[in-house]
Amino acid sequence: MSRRMLSRIGSGLTVVALATTTVACTKKSDTTDAEAGGREPAQVKVALVPGGSHPYFQPWKDAGAKAKTELALGDVTFNETAGWDQTKQNDVLKSLAAQGYNAFGVFGVSPDNINSTFEDLKRQGFPVGSLASCPAGANKADFCLSTDVEVAAYKGAKAAIDAMGGQGNLVHLTGNKVDSNTQRRIAGVEKAVAETGGKVTLLQSVTDIDKDLQSAQRAVADLLAAKGRQIQAIVNTAYNPAVASAEGVRQSKLPIKVIAIDDDPTVLDGLRGGSVAATVLQNPVGQAQVGSYALMKLSGGCTMAEPGVTIDSGSFVVTTDNLDGYEADRTATTEALRKKFDGDLLKCS
Amino acid sequence: MKTETAPEAPAVPPAAEPRPPARALPVWANPRLGLLIVIAVLVVLFSSLTPAFLDPRLTLAPLQADISVYVVVGLAQLAVLSLGHMNMAVGRMAALSTFAMGLAYDRLGVPLLVGLLVGLAVGAGIGALAGLLIAKTGVNSFVVTLALDFGLLGLVTILYTWATGGVSFAVQPSGLSALRFDTFADYCMGEVCGPRIPLVVPIAVAAALGVGLLFRHARLGREILMTGSNTVAAELSGIPTHRRVVAAHALSGLLAALAGFLLAANNGAFSANIGESFLLPSFLAPVLGGTLLAGGAVSVLGTALGATLTQVIYKGLNLLQFSLEELKLYIGLVLLAALSLDRLRAVLAERRAVSSS
Repeated sequence: MSRRMLSRIGSGLTVVALATTTVACTKKSDTTDAEAGGREPAQVKVALVPGGSHPYFQPWKDAGAKAKTELALGDVTFNETAGWDQTKQNDVLKSLAAQGYNAFGVFGVSPDNINSTFEDLKRQGFPVGSLASCPAGANKADFCLSTDVEVAAYKGAKAAIDAMGGQGNLVHLTGNKVDSNTQRRIAGVEKAVAETGGKVTLLQSVTDIDKDLQSAQRAVADLLAAKGRQIQAIVNTAYNPAVASAEGVRQSKLPIKVIAIDDDPTVLDGLRGGSVAATVLQNPVGQAQVGSYALMKLSGGCTMAEPGVTIDSGSFVVTTDNLDGYEADRTATTEALRKKFDGDLLKCS
Repeated sequence: MKTETAPEAPAVPPAAEPRPPARALPVWANPRLGLLIVIAVLVVLFSSLTPAFLDPRLTLAPLQADISVYVVVGLAQLAVLSLGHMNMAVGRMAALSTFAMGLAYDRLGVPLLVGLLVGLAVGAGIGALAGLLIAKTGVNSFVVTLALDFGLLGLVTILYTWATGGVSFAVQPSGLSALRFDTFADYCMGEVCGPRIPLVVPIAVAAALGVGLLFRHARLGREILMTGSNTVAAELSGIPTHRRVVAAHALSGLLAALAGFLLAANNGAFSANIGESFLLPSFLAPVLGGTLLAGGAVSVLGTALGATLTQVIYKGLNLLQFSLEELKLYIGLVLLAALSLDRLRAVLAERRAVSSS
């Protein structure tokens, strides 16, 4: 029998086998979500998984290590290898589960897709918290502990309007336009501008410039060259544009007030040096610490009083006036969040 | 399955002595065998370093699903490498096709298979368009598909914003969840259940068999390879080379669409970012497997093994919790080592063939 004939017979048999399997077999009963619970803290291994490498998430490392010690958890790991790719992040999460991690705090790469990943983890009985970003639509994780991005953008825009004396032209620099969180940030800025009754005009919302610092710098340089003299303030709701605009305005010596975001050393130096008028801080430490705490409680048998509930992890406007005291505010907010989980959000028998 | 056309015959002086037929290369000189050995060594190494590597539910089943996607991605590139062409738009073709699938499921409520066929048609169509432009204008395939990639990048974003207001369809057609979560172990005949192989695997196997049979047994496939090997000779032999170029690119688009569907099934969503990470693996799998960039020779089995090797490396290093920088470094080093070993094996085989002739 020739090889050609053997090859054809083999292909035919494969097709027949697949067809037979599909038609003749019955499916086992559908797997329902396995319940998490009954684990002692020492049996709980928490994985904190951001969407990729970004300065914002660096405090998660220390906060996770602190939570491990304070809560006597089995382990807390921080894995930032997802590379801003939802497929890779799914793979990272499966790998961590295979290594015995059984509770997940995740910043989903794609808010529009991440619910599928959360459902996948919950099917396997793992408690899941959506940290630092909530999915678009209904949240399928146990809870979402994140900055209310619309509120944070609103606070930033209000700070910018104050800094520019309550009138003039404002520009908003932000990230990926088709991200639902960006749309909420734009809404927050527009709300603050609308409240001025026309005294402040939102000249432009520049999107898609948070991919890397280089593209942000290019966009800021173009903006300042084209409209620099018309702009009184820039409000940033993404990290790279914040760094780029602080640097761009400083170099151009234009009298533009810059409102940055987060407390990266570059931003804090800008605040001290005067090139940044204010910055809106978020609470990554609280997200990691309180998130790990809630995941431990859920692993131990508690349930969420309202599954999928969204909790604002807090945002703070920092100027030179409160530059030295903001950390105390943030710690107090973190403690209040933990008490809120114990008092209102968790149901423990 | 390795398929190639006869190499171009060198001009032989009439007085030259007829050379004895070259001896067949030994079994160990087969590049696919080399890849198989490297994969086996890595599997043993990773399993001994972390037993989680052999976890059937959390490691092996997802690994098979990932390999399925990247085998088809590799085949999409292989389809045009057969001509000595490139498809730089392989990822965006997948993105546009999965948009069409998502739209069909979301707006028309079509069954899973019908939506898949719609997406495959769109993929084949956009591939055929690329092939037509290349064949008619004579512009290099790299340039045409790179331009197409840029165009599609914008188009896909615009289309998703128009249709969904975001970057993803929320629709979950019936059967997608089974493709995503189920393995044959979930289906039983009496007490006997199937192996823990994800349902997406047979789709990739069928695609590989189809492409293998096309290039090995079908006239169309052989003519594409002839065109890739020597276009002028193929034309003089009566092969409609322009149509073969269009056909190969249409096949590439169709396979890119299938890869997009498999990734959407694995991720559980039809979204704009599908295909973003396809480009490099699309070249890596066929080239590792012995497909020539110059055209005229393809290896489907080698492509499958190449895709398997890269996914095994990625999964193993991931399980060992390498940092981001280490992960990239070691993936590069392991691939370099695999390619070097393969080259060493080829050189040894050539020397042996020369010395024994």
